[in-house]
Amino acid sequence: MIGHDHGGPAGYGQPGASTGSTYVPPPAPSPFPQPSQQPSAKPRTSLAVALEQSRYRLMVTAAVVTTVFTAISVKLAMATLLAGGGEPRQHVALEVGDTTTNRADITDRNGNLLATSLVTQSLYADPKLVSRPEEAAQKLVGALPDLEYKDVLNKLSGDRRFVWLKRNLTPKQQAAVHRLGIPGVAFEREERRFYPAGPLTSHIVGFTGIDNNGLAGMEQGFNKRLTEEPGTPLQLSIDLRLQHVLKKELAATVQEFSAIGAAGIVFDVRNGEVLSMVSLPDFDPQDPTGLNPDTLFNRATLGVYEMGSTFKIFNSALAFDTGKIRVSDMFDAAHPVKIGRFTINDYHNLHRALTVAEVFQHSSNLGSVRMVQQVGVAAQKAFMTKMGFTKPTGLELPESGWPLVPNPWREVNSYTISFGHGISVSPMHTVAAAASVINGGLFHKPTLLKRQPDGEIPTEQVVSRQTSDMMRRMFRFVVTEGTGKSAEVKGYVVGGKTGTADKQKGKHYQKNSRMSSFLGAFPMNDPRYIVYVLVDEPQATAKTYGYATGGWVAAPAVGRIVKQIGPLLNVPMVDENTPEILNSTYLNAAGSTNWQQSLPPVTAPPPAKGSTVASFPTQTKPR
Amino acid sequence: MKGKTWLFWGGLIAAAGGVLFQTSYDVQDLEEKLAGLNRKIIQEQESIQVLKAEWSYLNDPTKLEHMAQAYLTLQPTEPRQYMAMDMIPMRPADAVPPPAQALPPGKAIPGAPLPPMVRAPVTGNSQLAAARVPAAPNNTGAAGIVPVSAQVGLAKPLPMEKALERAPVVVPASLPSSGALAEPSRASRIKPAALVPGSARAPAEKSDVPAAAGKLAPNAPTARPTELASRPTPAPAPATKVAAAVPAAQQPYQPKPTDSLGLLVARLGANR
Repeated sequence: MIGHDHGGPAGYGQPGASTGSTYVPPPAPSPFPQPSQQPSAKPRTSLAVALEQSRYRLMVTAAVVTTVFTAISVKLAMATLLAGGGEPRQHVALEVGDTTTNRADITDRNGNLLATSLVTQSLYADPKLVSRPEEAAQKLVGALPDLEYKDVLNKLSGDRRFVWLKRNLTPKQQAAVHRLGIPGVAFEREERRFYPAGPLTSHIVGFTGIDNNGLAGMEQGFNKRLTEEPGTPLQLSIDLRLQHVLKKELAATVQEFSAIGAAGIVFDVRNGEVLSMVSLPDFDPQDPTGLNPDTLFNRATLGVYEMGSTFKIFNSALAFDTGKIRVSDMFDAAHPVKIGRFTINDYHNLHRALTVAEVFQHSSNLGSVRMVQQVGVAAQKAFMTKMGFTKPTGLELPESGWPLVPNPWREVNSYTISFGHGISVSPMHTVAAAASVINGGLFHKPTLLKRQPDGEIPTEQVVSRQTSDMMRRMFRFVVTEGTGKSAEVKGYVVGGKTGTADKQKGKHYQKNSRMSSFLGAFPMNDPRYIVYVLVDEPQATAKTYGYATGGWVAAPAVGRIVKQIGPLLNVPMVDENTPEILNSTYLNAAGSTNWQQSLPPVTAPPPAKGSTVASFPTQTKPR
Repeated sequence: MKGKTWLFWGGLIAAAGGVLFQTSYDVQDLEEKLAGLNRKIIQEQESIQVLKAEWSYLNDPTKLEHMAQAYLTLQPTEPRQYMAMDMIPMRPADAVPPPAQALPPGKAIPGAPLPPMVRAPVTGNSQLAAARVPAAPNNTGAAGIVPVSAQVGLAKPLPMEKALERAPVVVPASLPSSGALAEPSRASRIKPAALVPGSARAPAEKSDVPAAAGKLAPNAPTARPTELASRPTPAPAPATKVAAAVPAAQQPYQPKPTDSLGLLVARLGANR
């Protein structure tokens, strides 16, 4: 090759360095002749030229090789050092406590599951891959009899690339379809929300849609929390056993009095936990859409009602708390109160003046109005606001009703509110406020989440301790001698207040559709729990002598509930007639708290009625 | 010399390569094993989830009450059946079983729960347990208690307390015992009721009445400790309901794992 070289590009501009060469190249046919250098290049030999050329070639080759290898090593360094070692993937052992699901469980206060996610398999098809749709459809219908042949055929012969054939197969069905071996048909892992307790907690837990998004209840209220921390279950304050007792008794009451619905709450007055909450009729969370939409309505928190006489609790507490009225003060309950075009009268007029204790005992509207006349409108409004009756309860459920509060708050409103009309609040409002009245005056925001034992409980002092003490006696007085006698359970020192409110339809109050309720608490010497029952439109029966008021309908139900949940809640039984209990619960009609003065008539409580549906309360006319 | 160096380095490289390959294959094997284990763990977790759900589903109080009404002769407990621990007088250690505390056998039996159904002596009250010891042989002697005798016969040579300890836990093997009901004390409270198979109720009562009411003096204790032990402190109250109803729940169902999942998923009702 060297020999045939005829002065290539290597010869240009490169003055010959080697002089020992004998080879004289022909004059270069270069357009840039270099006559001055021609003589000095003359001694260059062909060897020198060849060496020179090969050096250049080596340099070029080396440059190329260097570039390529540099590129490779850079890539190598990037791939190995910078891209995480280039390991295929790290295998990590799973944690034992981990869950495979994407949504946390919901449990009751004892850890019983209320909602959980189960993994199921769903069947889908890619119609493009199904070669013979008729045959495939026939086989599929054979394995899954609840599918429609036509429907499946339509789906399989369609143009889409993905059709659901059946969601959430059982393992047996899955195996059957698997055995058919139809190409183009496959399974997809899915999660499905499951509610082991079923309708029992339906209004609390709520339900989710097909894509596992919460649509009601705690599932909706805590949707974010449930999906963000799937490993830790959400523990509610609900106790499943209480829930069962409450629902059973409410259902029995609804059936007995042919009511259209009912609501019940069991409430811990010491920390504001809702231990149980039932609203009837309820629904199956597994299939919430198929039923009457009315069943989705939560009467305990979303429904706002005129509470009727249960509001006399707050009227009395207000009266005591202002300091202007004492329990032995007398109020005229004989003459109807006229204001504007309204006349307020008593359901059962005693035609005499009553003490505050008697007003509460007989549930006198007139007495309540006279009391609020002394207290004043502004004080009442401030008190009701303090009790939380002007805003939602702050319960975690999305179904929390706004109360209907009169605006402006006139005198006539204050009169009607004193006996529970003209203001509509939810049962949860009533229970939370009543708890604060009897627990020493501390208002706790109601909650559906279990309180941590060391956690701080948000507390607000709303009434004084003395007021609360007197209200306990009043509660107890209603059950020993007033309208709520049928709520008495021997050993549990029950107290409470009945309520009956005529329902408003349009502009008028209906005579025969009413809300009967009873707000019970036990044990009254040291209140721990409130049991509230509200029955919507009960019809009087022969057994109740034509009455469908709170004392006849709701109070016996509360008695039966207390009887069953007392042991579950670990409430010790006490003898009501021991001095310690009487000291803290006694009150008589004259407003005296001294039980030793009048031993015989008062300390003998009514014989323990078997608190059954058939038990007859005594012949007071409860209202 | 040069050849030896080559040999040395070559051998070293070959050895290193061999070790490297070996390690690499080992790692692959381990990774496969790990992946397999992880798959199994996921599977187990899923079935635990299913079993938990099933446990809760079968423990639904409404269902338990229905079954208790259908299969058991027990009534709901009344508040008067509970008394505080300190209201029970301590028995002198050498005394015979206290006769004054119990109703006469004839009266006690009809309403009373069957002897074996009695909740076990509350912890720490060993006298009551001791009082029950004579009851066991007598029960086996009584003719008709066939289902019970299998269990009690087992207890025969032992003191009752030991028998109770040995008694099978009520929870069916296929169900997580304390998973759903996290409270450990409750799980242990359930235990004694396991002595009663679900089918033991109706025949046992019939055969027991004449035996106890009749001439057999030793039978009296069977009734007495029953009365006593059936009203312990309020604390175990919830257990009565749960414990009493669980055997019933367990008897009719005996679900196979696959069937139970089917049962659950069938309830899901997603396919309309």
